[in-house]
Amino acid sequence: MKKLWRVRELSTVAILAAEVAFFTWYLWPEAGRAHPFLNVENALLILKYSSIYGIAAVGAAIVIISGGIDLAPGAVMALAGVVTSGLFVQEGWPLAPAMGAGLLVGVVSGLLSAALIVLARLPPFIATLGVMGITRGAAFIITEGRYFDVSSKLMGGWRPLGLPADWVAPLVMVGLALVFQFLMTRFQWGRSVFAVGGNETAALFTGIGIGRLKTSVYVLSGLLAAVSGVVLVTVQGQGKADLATGYELDIIASAVVGGASLSGGRGSVVGAVLGTLIFGVLRNALPQIPGATFYDRLIVGLVVIVIVVMDQMLLKKAD
Amino acid sequence: MAGLEFRNVRKSFGAVQALKGVSFSVADGEAHALVGENGAGKSTLLKILAGIIHPDAGELYWRGERLTMTSPRDALERGIGMVYQEMLSFPNLSVTGNIFAGRELTRGGRLLEHEMRARTRALLDELHLAIRPDARAESLSAAHRQLLQVARALAFDCRILVLDEPTTSLTDAEADHLFAVLEKLKREGTTLLYVSHRLPEVFRMCDTITVMRDGAHAGTFPRTEVTPDRIVRAMVGRDLPPRAEHESAAARAPVLAIRGLTRGPCFRDVSLTVSAGEIVGLFGLVGSGRSELLETLFGMHRPDRGTIALSGTPIRLRNPRAAARAGIALVPEERQRQGLFFNLSVRHNLMLPGRTAQGRIVIGASEERRESRRLLQEWRIKAAGEDVLPDSLSGGNQQKVVLAKWLATSPRVLLLDEPTKGVDVGAKFEIHEIVRRQAAEGLACLVVSSDLPEVLALCGRIVVMHEGRVQGEIAGADATEESVMHLATAELKEAS
Repeated sequence: MKKLWRVRELSTVAILAAEVAFFTWYLWPEAGRAHPFLNVENALLILKYSSIYGIAAVGAAIVIISGGIDLAPGAVMALAGVVTSGLFVQEGWPLAPAMGAGLLVGVVSGLLSAALIVLARLPPFIATLGVMGITRGAAFIITEGRYFDVSSKLMGGWRPLGLPADWVAPLVMVGLALVFQFLMTRFQWGRSVFAVGGNETAALFTGIGIGRLKTSVYVLSGLLAAVSGVVLVTVQGQGKADLATGYELDIIASAVVGGASLSGGRGSVVGAVLGTLIFGVLRNALPQIPGATFYDRLIVGLVVIVIVVMDQMLLKKAD
Repeated sequence: MAGLEFRNVRKSFGAVQALKGVSFSVADGEAHALVGENGAGKSTLLKILAGIIHPDAGELYWRGERLTMTSPRDALERGIGMVYQEMLSFPNLSVTGNIFAGRELTRGGRLLEHEMRARTRALLDELHLAIRPDARAESLSAAHRQLLQVARALAFDCRILVLDEPTTSLTDAEADHLFAVLEKLKREGTTLLYVSHRLPEVFRMCDTITVMRDGAHAGTFPRTEVTPDRIVRAMVGRDLPPRAEHESAAARAPVLAIRGLTRGPCFRDVSLTVSAGEIVGLFGLVGSGRSELLETLFGMHRPDRGTIALSGTPIRLRNPRAAARAGIALVPEERQRQGLFFNLSVRHNLMLPGRTAQGRIVIGASEERRESRRLLQEWRIKAAGEDVLPDSLSGGNQQKVVLAKWLATSPRVLLLDEPTKGVDVGAKFEIHEIVRRQAAEGLACLVVSSDLPEVLALCGRIVVMHEGRVQGEIAGADATEESVMHLATAELKEAS
């Protein structure tokens, strides 16, 4: 089993490498000019923007592996971003407690999803659809159409932990990906997530505490989405209610491209993060191709389908 | 010595009394069988023992000590190991992962993979199971998955091992293996509670037999003092009518004739015929290609080579819809997964194939209701009306619904895949009667079954398959358990 996972993540890496190679070749500049795609600054840019998706994708992958689905991340990102930026800009809170309040938003919305799923026994799709509406709505109520200008208050010299600001988000993403990969593969909690996603009835008969496990999964998903939201307002510089609209689907797509199966029991946290990088590269490189701007959504859609179909064919072959 | 004791256990679900005060005891270290028709309350009793549901009244005792269990985990911790009928494995986890699911060996939450793998290997060796600890459960055969359940129960200190129909999906050889394991456990002092419909197994394995009927205890008998007939009478509460004799099928033109049918790698070069009014048995061990053959005849797969002819006309079946329209019906092996829609009422279930086969778009609700009521009555299906969900029916009655929905389309060929798998003795008898009656009216029936006595009782002619090929055909008086098994395992013996 372990071997198979390793292979699955390798294939995601291979797709990413092929993608980078393709754009490097396609966008090769005329002699004497700098490469517009293959340079350190651009790589950092891709990483920075991908991490907004990538951090939330860690949570999405865990939810999907448990056999559920979470539609709330985009809206939770917005609400967490709005709360953080509002407290920081409007109320004059220091940055750290404002961020803490933003993260709390994620925990609360995750708890709400979990309560609806575990206690009220709603299907996760419906429960999190409702929570998505509630959190997005709350963001609009708080902002009343305004936006909170974080960037002007942060100014250029912001160096959290003595690091350049641009490095923080990618580092957080990589750190979280590794921690949760470890938790999912080496710890009892992670094993139970796989078990519940693989066969919930068997999990019940085995004595796994399904309610508690699902609660932990949705709370985590909410918390990680909130981390993404906080990162998003610091990167983008503005806290407003329509942040991250539709991101939930991109995040789910990343997890699936990274090997997660929507029927549960299969997937990987690192794969999901690699999946967001695949999309990050596309979003970065496509606008640089003259005339491709209007095609980028279409191409992203095709890529999802092609990768998942390829994955299924490989799985069939492996059996 | 009193081991496990049930005292006046009661449980109701809504208005249904599943257990009406059951009391009996299982001696320490014995192998105790629990038998009864579906709906007799065995499953409810087992679920109480497993801590999944709680009795309304009554107590359980183990060696004189009161057992109170509030969760499956409680039961596990008290040494009650369960092997369920449905294979409750985690297909996505490894063998090791399955055995330790929910009870992983950890240090500070961290999995001790090496230790678990080592213990799994030791356990598999002890059970003589040739499977790798790292293999995924979904890659295992049905039999190995079942034995994996036994291994899971034994991984931790297990004082009472409860087995619910453990041989349903096992071949005889695999069942023998399981019995050898159980014998060994019994010698080592484990108490066994064995639930099965198969009386030969029960008589082979168990020291004592408890019969349940309609949620009540109908008697406990020492094996040495009772006959299978006596047990069956206690189970059904009445005497069964004698078995009908085979009616020799008149040598009529075959309705279904297949020639050289091949679909790699499942079956090769299969030729056989079924005449009107004939019941032909298709026997073979699991993996001999029988189910795949039936599915191909029902248009689910396309054959690589060979012809299928219906009343002399060659036909091409592009899909099951075409097969149904041509007059071929398939009662599939897994009624839960393949045979019934659990979200639809019994009436809708009964009417669905007819609509497909006849291509009728609009059918009035009252006509449908009338028709389904007639079917329920005709086939004596016990249901609280035609609008209930199939969930509320016992396994045998569910199977009769699957059978009835196809018979309502007046097919010419009826394909049956394990028609009485997991149904009780009474329902089994009734299903056999239905098939015989239909055959007498001219239906051509092809029956796949792993239950050799059933094949012998039902079929006038038996085609034996082995590893995808027809091994031979036995008709009438030549068909005995020995002659059929000899054909089915011929190559195995040569090979070893």
